[in-house]
Amino acid sequence: MEALEPLIYAGELSPVRDRMIAELEDINTLCATYRSRIYRYALLSLRDADLAESVTQDCFLKAHRARGEFRGDCSVATWLTRIATNLIRDSTRSRKFQFWKTATSTAVDAGAMADRLRSPGLSPETHLQVRQELVKVWDTVATLSGKQRSVFLLRFVEEMELPEIATAMGLHVGTVKSHLHRALAAVRKAMERKK
Amino acid sequence: MKTNHLSAWEQEEYVLDQRTPQMLRHLADCAECRAAVAQLEHGVVVFRNAAVEWSAECLAARPRQLQFASMRRLSTPAMRWALAAVVPLVLLMLLALLPVHFSRPAHPASDITDDALLEQVDEQVSVAVPSSMESLTHLVSAESSSGAAASGSKHIAQTN
Repeated sequence: MEALEPLIYAGELSPVRDRMIAELEDINTLCATYRSRIYRYALLSLRDADLAESVTQDCFLKAHRARGEFRGDCSVATWLTRIATNLIRDSTRSRKFQFWKTATSTAVDAGAMADRLRSPGLSPETHLQVRQELVKVWDTVATLSGKQRSVFLLRFVEEMELPEIATAMGLHVGTVKSHLHRALAAVRKAMERKK
Repeated sequence: MKTNHLSAWEQEEYVLDQRTPQMLRHLADCAECRAAVAQLEHGVVVFRNAAVEWSAECLAARPRQLQFASMRRLSTPAMRWALAAVVPLVLLMLLALLPVHFSRPAHPASDITDDALLEQVDEQVSVAVPSSMESLTHLVSAESSSGAAASGSKHIAQTN
């Protein structure tokens, strides 16, 4: 970690860092660029549209306020994802008491999710099969641990690379890979079990 | 019976894009492993597509209030800082004005001197004998005792 500091503030990297900080300066542009991505991550993690919106707002506000602390050693998207990950974790912890209350009101279950599934051109049988697969994966992702779920979402929904995920989660790449394997194993078992 | 099928770990590695030439070679030959990997990949892809679609749908249904909310919330700390700057200034001004207020009483100092003068006049009026005639009060009257008269005559003799 000590060796990274000179690299971050090295002359050749400062223009990149300055450009990133300039990007963080304008909160409206920042929101326009990354809102859908952060909102999607929060929505799929929390499965609550209102909470996801709140986390998204807090994420951009925190990023804007802490823009001076941004060192430029990762992309703005990764940095925002890291902030969002912390907010999602805090939100999950704080709402544990209200989980069962919200579960019946604004949270989305697998059936409702599958109802939104659009599969133009598919036969009814294939559509039903796809729907069942979606329900299995959706339910399985809900049973994953917080870190496994975040890593799974970042890899397979946001399509981030493993080092990026490691930076966003504050984990080693090996740990990220381990979480991904466990998540995938759970998905695979669920799909095999309910054939 | 083939025993060199891809393990569960290898199937997951394949889905994670950690593919080796051996894996690819085996998948080219083994329909069973190909189907297993394809099923896992398909499940992930279906989830991703549905998640992206659902998220976009939810986001589209929401008003674009993020900017307004952010500006409102951004103004709160600014207001706090402004208050933090103004309140001490107001207090300092009050502290500066208060001594002036108390150092300028409603009744001027001349009123106090007037009172003192009145008291002095009262004292002088209340005295039975005016100060200019006070020496006369020490004179001995004719009805005083003989001893006193003798001492008085002696005093007169000494002065002569």
